[in-house]
Amino acid sequence: MNYPVWEVFSLGGGTLIAGISVLHAFIAHLAVGGGLFIWLTDRKGFRENNPLVHEYVRRHTWFFLLLTMVFGGVSGVGIWFIIGLVNPAGTSVLIHYFVFAWAIEWVFFLGEIVALLVYHYKFTVLRRKERLTLAFLYFLFAWLSLVTVNGILAFMLTPGKWLKTHAFWDGFLNATFLPSMFFRTCMAFMIAGLFGYLTTVFLKDSAFRTSMMRYCTKWLLYPLPGLILSAVWYYYETPFPARRTAFAVNPETAFFSELFVALTVGLFVFSLLMALRLNAGFQRVLSLVLVVAGLCWFGGFEYCREIARKPFVINGFMYSNMVKKSAIEKLDREGFLKHARWAATREMTAKNTLIAGRELFVLQCLSCHTVGGVHNDVVPLVRNYTALGVRSLLNGQGKVQTYMPPFAGTEAETKALAAYITKSFSRAHTAGPTRRNDVQPGKQVIPPFNRGEDEYVLLAWNDLGMHCVSDSDSWFVILPPGNTLEAVLIRRGETPELVMEGVEISYDVEEGYGNPAAHVDFWKYAASNFGRKIKENTGLQGNGLSGKFQFNTEHASFLAEGIPVVPYKDDGSYNPYPLFTVEAKDAKTGNVLAGTKVVAPVSTEMGCRNCHGGGWRVNHLTGIAAGTSTNILQVHDHLEGTNLLEQARKGNPKLCQSCHADAALGVQGTAGLLNFSAAMHGWHANYVPYDDVRACILCHPANRKGNTKCARGFHKSVEMTCVNCHGTMQEHALALLKAEKGKRGSSRLMAHLKAVHVDAVKEINPRLPWVQEPDCLTCHKDFGKPPRHGNGFNTWNGNFSGLYRMRTDNAGVRCQACHGATHALYPARNPYGKNRDNIQPIQYAGIPYPIGSNLTCAVCHVVKMDGAVHHENMEHVFRNAESVR
Amino acid sequence: MNPLSLVPIPDMIQAPAWVFLGLDILLFAFHILLINVALGSMLLIVFSRGRRREEPSENPVRALAASKIPTFFALGINFGVAPLLFLQVIYGHLFYSSSILMAVYWILIIPFLILAYYGAYLHAGKFGSQSFLGKAALWMAAVILLCIGFVFVNNMTLMLQPEKWVAYFENPRGTILNLSEPTLVPRYLHFVTASVAVGGLFMAFLWKRKMKINLMEAEEKGNPGLKIFGFATAVQILIGLWFLMAIPRDFLLEFLGGDVFSTIVFLVGFAGAIGAVAAAFANRLGATGVMFGLTIGAMVITRHNLRAMYLKETFNLNNLQISPQYGIMALFFVVLIIGAVSVWYMIRLSRSTENGRTS
Repeated sequence: MNYPVWEVFSLGGGTLIAGISVLHAFIAHLAVGGGLFIWLTDRKGFRENNPLVHEYVRRHTWFFLLLTMVFGGVSGVGIWFIIGLVNPAGTSVLIHYFVFAWAIEWVFFLGEIVALLVYHYKFTVLRRKERLTLAFLYFLFAWLSLVTVNGILAFMLTPGKWLKTHAFWDGFLNATFLPSMFFRTCMAFMIAGLFGYLTTVFLKDSAFRTSMMRYCTKWLLYPLPGLILSAVWYYYETPFPARRTAFAVNPETAFFSELFVALTVGLFVFSLLMALRLNAGFQRVLSLVLVVAGLCWFGGFEYCREIARKPFVINGFMYSNMVKKSAIEKLDREGFLKHARWAATREMTAKNTLIAGRELFVLQCLSCHTVGGVHNDVVPLVRNYTALGVRSLLNGQGKVQTYMPPFAGTEAETKALAAYITKSFSRAHTAGPTRRNDVQPGKQVIPPFNRGEDEYVLLAWNDLGMHCVSDSDSWFVILPPGNTLEAVLIRRGETPELVMEGVEISYDVEEGYGNPAAHVDFWKYAASNFGRKIKENTGLQGNGLSGKFQFNTEHASFLAEGIPVVPYKDDGSYNPYPLFTVEAKDAKTGNVLAGTKVVAPVSTEMGCRNCHGGGWRVNHLTGIAAGTSTNILQVHDHLEGTNLLEQARKGNPKLCQSCHADAALGVQGTAGLLNFSAAMHGWHANYVPYDDVRACILCHPANRKGNTKCARGFHKSVEMTCVNCHGTMQEHALALLKAEKGKRGSSRLMAHLKAVHVDAVKEINPRLPWVQEPDCLTCHKDFGKPPRHGNGFNTWNGNFSGLYRMRTDNAGVRCQACHGATHALYPARNPYGKNRDNIQPIQYAGIPYPIGSNLTCAVCHVVKMDGAVHHENMEHVFRNAESVR
Repeated sequence: MNPLSLVPIPDMIQAPAWVFLGLDILLFAFHILLINVALGSMLLIVFSRGRRREEPSENPVRALAASKIPTFFALGINFGVAPLLFLQVIYGHLFYSSSILMAVYWILIIPFLILAYYGAYLHAGKFGSQSFLGKAALWMAAVILLCIGFVFVNNMTLMLQPEKWVAYFENPRGTILNLSEPTLVPRYLHFVTASVAVGGLFMAFLWKRKMKINLMEAEEKGNPGLKIFGFATAVQILIGLWFLMAIPRDFLLEFLGGDVFSTIVFLVGFAGAIGAVAAAFANRLGATGVMFGLTIGAMVITRHNLRAMYLKETFNLNNLQISPQYGIMALFFVVLIIGAVSVWYMIRLSRSTENGRTS
């Protein structure tokens, strides 16, 4: 930001630095090791009194001089040139804080050149002692030069105390200085051996050639133990966050570290081959191959070293895009462009958003990314995201994928950059429009109930008031079709009775929903996703769209699990609230005892496409589209090293929970991985740029502009949102992650999340998803009137049976039976018919409120009752009738 | 847009600015001399072939020069690294900016320099064998160095003129040069002509050594290298006057009495140049060398004085904040002395073998 940016969109400054540096450093290490090689080989010639060795040294020196002095020397200057062009701010720090080290290195460089020139040009006329002294001086200067540069390179990775003191010696004598010095010295000797092959392999005398090649092999083998030991030392001196970022988080590292290890072994093995007496032509080719392999080996190491330092150019101090870590807070607050000297945009307006976005891209992204270029091409990374998706990527940048720097700038600048990136690099797979569903609900038909004569009251509910299905079965499954209905049959009387036996309760879906297999691919891919074939139109537990309930003692209710209803009607319309008719019959006589209707909420409006692009699968209304699914799998594969996309394309999609445990599906997952809810919320909480209800409705089908609007219970009518009970998305994620401590990624995902409703993250209580939830009684103390701005976050029930939806009252009646399902508490307001969710209260009591409200005890008790038996504070008129009118 | 708003904020320096300035100027003088020798020798050999006066291999002086060109490359590049380092310390914020504006040309220096350097070795190896490849290599190396010099002059002038940096907003692709600058051509020609002159002076010294005659006799016989130096320096004076006319009037006045120090140094250089021409045509090698040394010293300082004039409104070296590192600075000077002694020792070794000893 202090400097202009050289705009090379396709080539990439980083690529240029890498290319020039690796080539230079490879030859420079040859210069060091080769110096010792020349000295010791010349000495060997004198000791053995062997003129062949001298002649070899003379010729080898000529080759060595041409390679190291010309290419090696000028490419070294090339590094100065290119880093000054691509990262002038970082270069300036290295120059200024280490100027005298660089100056000292220059003196060594001068000594090197003079020594080598004199040695070469006066080779035949120098006396033994003089010549060996010169050779040794050359090596000494070269090695000292390596030590000096190494100190500064190591500083970039482990600046240590320098971050506080900015003192020269604190920076130079840093944690990785010594291990790196030993490591590079060993590499230098090995490289000398490699290049030794190149010159010995052309010797004419075959016996002499073999003996010299064996000699070169020693140069490759002897340093190997030192290399391995110093590599281990180097690895452990690298600070843990850098090691983790490089070797666990960054998906790019694996290739280079594997290359390095494989080639270390390869060079070892092939060097043994070179020690054997083999065909000269073959060995000449092999020697060239070995040099190239050596270059790749060396490049692999240097690449790993560079990656370990990302996102910094100077670890902990300055990012690769030249933004200082200490400046981030100010830039986020005041704006990046305002402080960038080389930005033309000073004030962001509606008209210059894209120009501002481009400048932000150039100034913060181009340092590492190319556009359509050879390396780190940004286009495939953003191609399928919407502007909101890119904004989310920017918001979460560097928090979880720690090899990226954070984006520096205000929210408006984030939006501008997202707009520029989406417009320039994203395909037309945007979020796409959302049509308004034109289903006309019609008048709600309420089943009959004769208050005077009917003996039974049949209450039924869906166990969850909000339920989703992922209709992306050919790509992955998050939630299969499978609603669970529950029912209780009450024999009316002054002391009513819960009927548990002698009755048969059945369910039947309304017309048009009977053939879900025609609308979703769940059954087609069940074998791949669930490990077994499932009969069409039957759920995972064996139930169909019509069938019988089974009594369940633990639930104290009749249960019909896994009913595979989907919100797609046979006429092509979408309605996420299909009605089920529930009927209770006498098991012996078959007489109908009671009947009612209940909504089984099921939505496919999972909002992945809001960020992941792809549009809606069905009619611009709902459903996870193929484009969305492929983007999701592609990202997961890229970041986690899976190959889900390829597997899905071959017809083998997977259930997400096959790896990530989920109590909702009763699946254990893979040990050590976060459970599904913790993974999803933990991950996305770092990215989604909202911390209020907008975060929730991006994904869950409660979006006000959507076609499900499933947060429809009474709490919505008094303007409560998800946040009132569940906390913000970040808090929600924190509580889930805390319960997963020790699992892979949990601490990294928590690191940047913040709490709002408690003072500190450590005060957040861990919770297991589906088992521990916020509870009514946190706000409704003693079942009474709650405070005006209550918040249920951070107080969870203890175990599964303590959940609101599992509890009973003092009389053994399930809470949901009278109050309605979670998120659809009576009186609910259903977008597909005002009273669609209030059928039973209206059927039995004539009012849409919780059953028994306004002292309508006669629904079950036949007569009016006295005393708060079911729970405290129940004897009053429904407080908020005004809110629901 | 206020051009000063584009000038980046410089980092702190580790010793008073004059330390780095002094080292920069001194080492730059070595660098430019070495490069002048290399380029000048190349140009003179190319010219002599072109004029077909005699085959260069018949001229032992040119043969000796050809064999030494690669060494001057090596030392010239080495002595370029040091002033580049110190330039970045005190002028880095300006230098990086102008470099980035011409990034493509700037980075292309590196591969072309490597080519030129290898070309010099190829030519040296093939000298005397009438090889086309050898001759072509020298041509290529000379042309490349001339181009590199041109790019350098563009960069060194552009870095002093932030008011021109707004061109970046029309062209951020790294292909901006400073072609509109009136001093660009005379400054560049000043460098090229200097190379020819110094090349000639270098050949003059080689002629003396090769001919194995003493200075007195050389004065009688007429040193061809000195003649070249004389003519080139005379032309150099004219180009220098052109340069002087091309600089902004205010600066010209500074050199003509406005600023005492600048005027004195400039006049010393000017007088030295005239004295060098006179000594050269009088065939007096020693005196020419002394006059030349005076000229070069004065001109390198004048170059800095002109630089300071250009930067008067933009940047003052004294405004740089100092965060002292005197301990490591002292270590550098110690190492420098040890290095200098080592180099002296090694050169002495090299010299002592010139009488045909064998190992």
